[in-house]
Amino acid sequence: MTLDETYQLGYIIKTHGLRGHVVAHFDVDDVKAYQKLKTVYLTLAGAPTKLVEHQVEKVQPQPGSKVLLKLRGIERIEEAEPLRGSQLHLPLTQLPELEDDQFYFHDVIGFTVVDENLGELGTVENFYELPQQDMLAMRYQGQEVLIPVVDELVSHADHTKKQIYVNLPDGLLDVYLKPSSRDKDEPDEFDEA
Amino acid sequence: MARSLKKGPYIDFRLEKKVTALETAGKKSVVKTWSRRSMISPDFVGHTFAVHNGNKFIPVYVTENMVGHKLGEFAPTRNFRGHVAKKDKGKR
Repeated sequence: MTLDETYQLGYIIKTHGLRGHVVAHFDVDDVKAYQKLKTVYLTLAGAPTKLVEHQVEKVQPQPGSKVLLKLRGIERIEEAEPLRGSQLHLPLTQLPELEDDQFYFHDVIGFTVVDENLGELGTVENFYELPQQDMLAMRYQGQEVLIPVVDELVSHADHTKKQIYVNLPDGLLDVYLKPSSRDKDEPDEFDEA
Repeated sequence: MARSLKKGPYIDFRLEKKVTALETAGKKSVVKTWSRRSMISPDFVGHTFAVHNGNKFIPVYVTENMVGHKLGEFAPTRNFRGHVAKKDKGKR
């Protein structure tokens, strides 16, 4: 199996205790969906392209996106220590199936963004993870336009037409296209008087 | 030390004015603001704010669980990295 045939599940943060447990960060929407994980592929920090298969003995979700992980054959802290920083991968075939209008971020890179009112706008370039909400980055008239990925603004994707449908609020494109200055947009209280 | 309760939450008067105008007009246009220190009030829910991070505007769609936080918390000022890597992350 090659890296291209896998998706990134997360990475190992540190060891935990003396019996070979490790704390991992799962970079997924729903950590609890991985409680029955049986196998995981690791890429060690020294060899980032080489996948090493490991059997999983125990997965214990922790608060947030952290997970306590016990791998078979790793029984002591000395054996777990080299795994620190390793990336965790799973085969793409294990990605949960989505309904037609749902999408994974990596699947829609390059899709055309279509607004309900404005029509075709640009192409999806990237996704950013921000503190509260993920952000879709679209290239529009040479500018990078950010769109919050929330149900109210991003409705669905059409995988056959390679289009993603959005409902942009008025003025979002102008924020990026029209130059603005604070003095004009928000004059001081004293200037107004 | 927490802000005294008797003062009430701080919201920039210019921002408050813009939101009030939108509320009365029943519009949902993007509100451009530089006031990162303004607290998100319940009136802001459902509106999109373009919050300046010192370099560019970051759109923030305000939801109920953001009420009580400051607008600046949702517009990072440092470089943020994208993730085009294949992950179990998406819109459900």
